[in-house]
Amino acid sequence: MKSIFNLFTSVKLTIVLLIFFALSSGLGTFIPQQRSPDEYVARFGQLANVLIGLQLTKLYQSLWFIVLLCLLALNIIICTLNRLSPKFKKVFRPRLIIKTKELVALKIMTKLKINKSLDTTKKELKRELSSRHYRIKETEKEKKAFLLARKKILGWFGADVVHLGIIIILVGGIISGLGGFKKNLTFSEGEVLDIPEAGIKLRLDKFETEYYPNSSVKDWKSTLTILKKDKSVLSRVIEVNHPLSYKGFVFYQSSVEWDWTNPSVEIWIKKSKNPSFLRKIKLKVGEKVRLEYENTQIAVLYFFPDFVINERNEITTRSLQPNNPAAFIEGWQADEKILSGWIFARFPDYSRIHSNKETDFSFELKDFKTDQFSVIQVRKDPGANFIWAGCALLMLGLFLAFYWSSREIKVILEEMFGKTEITAGGVASKNKDAFQVEFKKIAANLRRLN
Amino acid sequence: MNESILFQIAFILYVISAILYFSFLFSKKENTAGIGFKFAFVGLLFHTIALILRTIECGHAPFTNMYESLSFLSWASILAYIIIEAKYKILKAGPYFILIVIALMALASSPLMPKEATPLVPALQSYWLWLHVSVTLLGEAFFAMAFITSIMYLRADLREKKNKVVKSSPSSEKLDSISYRCIAIGFPLFTLGGLIFGMIWAYKAWGRYWSWDPKETWSLITWFVFALYLHTRIVMGWKGRLSAYIAAIGFLAALFTYFGVNYLLAGLHSYG
Repeated sequence: MKSIFNLFTSVKLTIVLLIFFALSSGLGTFIPQQRSPDEYVARFGQLANVLIGLQLTKLYQSLWFIVLLCLLALNIIICTLNRLSPKFKKVFRPRLIIKTKELVALKIMTKLKINKSLDTTKKELKRELSSRHYRIKETEKEKKAFLLARKKILGWFGADVVHLGIIIILVGGIISGLGGFKKNLTFSEGEVLDIPEAGIKLRLDKFETEYYPNSSVKDWKSTLTILKKDKSVLSRVIEVNHPLSYKGFVFYQSSVEWDWTNPSVEIWIKKSKNPSFLRKIKLKVGEKVRLEYENTQIAVLYFFPDFVINERNEITTRSLQPNNPAAFIEGWQADEKILSGWIFARFPDYSRIHSNKETDFSFELKDFKTDQFSVIQVRKDPGANFIWAGCALLMLGLFLAFYWSSREIKVILEEMFGKTEITAGGVASKNKDAFQVEFKKIAANLRRLN
Repeated sequence: MNESILFQIAFILYVISAILYFSFLFSKKENTAGIGFKFAFVGLLFHTIALILRTIECGHAPFTNMYESLSFLSWASILAYIIIEAKYKILKAGPYFILIVIALMALASSPLMPKEATPLVPALQSYWLWLHVSVTLLGEAFFAMAFITSIMYLRADLREKKNKVVKSSPSSEKLDSISYRCIAIGFPLFTLGGLIFGMIWAYKAWGRYWSWDPKETWSLITWFVFALYLHTRIVMGWKGRLSAYIAAIGFLAALFTYFGVNYLLAGLHSYG
């Protein structure tokens, strides 16, 4: 038991764990995570079973990865506590009475003789130290006076604060993992959805997609109303990067979904022999429209948002996103079908119209409209506040560790025949060169008493 | 004056600076290096204006595609070099460091990098874009500085072992301590910008602060390497060669986080 404890107090273990942790998390970035077994078989063949068996396909959620994380956490906690108690003692209950040889052993030290009495010298030294913001503790024993002057003592605890921050972040992660709640809601305008977990209902009052001039998406905005016992409590517009928080539940604008059950399209019709001819028609799928002053009717039979011809040579849609919108149209004169074919919104050059009569119509799929659903993600993440607290401590600790240089000067004063002999030594947690300069200045100022 | 002309002027000034620095390496005239430093500084001023103009032109933070982000990383690197040089006077690091910057600038100007400003997708429209990217890249610039001084340390150490003392060369001990100082600046910046600001923004935009996306994972790996550097150095007292190797590995991990992840691994951070 004791040897296990000793193992966890060792920084060597930390180093081994850090290396393991870095290598295994790196491995996880080269193996696609959380896919279906078929995908792994297709990609890795025989190796797939090994990957799945070793849980490398959900590496960051795997048991061994979590064990590794726990070992690291345990190592951090034990190392920190192990170093903390002697440090606390040193900082808060320091030993004032020390031996001269302890000071002589320090890298930064000096010995001085001052032609003044002990009291005068001590008073002068204390004045000098306080003017440099040192806090002084003193005692006397056997005609010797002992001074302990320190400043910025929090600097000794920088690394401990960092470790505490990391532990709190890990705790936050565990809480998020265990107590988190996540749900995707797909709304159309005016719809009310029940969220029993939060004890509320949510209504989507308005949903709009904003576009840039080049027709790429600029933003999605949903106006949400929170209903409690069918009374509205709160109404807000949310967009990407601007979620709404309500009693621990956060509502995010996630994306949109398209409802392709009843789309309508806008088609521009031109004639190659008559450049001034242009007709714009708007119609629903399945609808037939008669062109003004022409003996022709146009119908849209099918519409696919993401047109593709699959392996079986069927025309279908690859996704529900409008990546390659295409419409199948027919043209009729009286009861005779005169033309038919596919037209593409993004790739008008690929539009193919077959006609069995002399016509010079050309068609462009200019626009399409359909209902959009707003996808709202509801989350409750009770660990998040731990994460932010941990992050704040982490940064505070790093600042203390790197930039809050603790300094400590220990002095023994001894009176010898009306003169005073001084032995002084100092330690700094950081920036030792600057401390040495200060130390020498203090000594020089004391020598001036002679 | 538009952004791309100013960018090219800055590029030319950096190249002149590098030529001066390298001639200093051979002629040993400190004067030449001093002029090289001034050219780098003036280059930085032009580069600053270029970045400001870019921001005004495209209306958002200038690091949303590879061209912009490389330009900003070069800018941050020169800034890091100027800060370190002003404080520690290691002119000999200048030539190698400027060379890294020139490589980054050359990469940014290559025709493979699309230069036109594209409108921001919804997830990127946030002031966290400024905070997250600029602080992270500044941290990485200091890692680059630590990398150069570590490599110089390894050379100086080899030389000193053979008892060859070259006057005007910084001692291995000084290089080791400067490398540490650079990490002491870079590590907190990288922690704040890369990890903490990244988590806050991810929480606001995607609803979760950590998703083991490749970019996040590699940032964490980079962080671990530098944590390893600090532990081995401060607790176990590994100074010198081992420290230098770890610092170099840390920079390579940062480089992979920056480039490798974008080109080799797909994930949430795939914004182009």
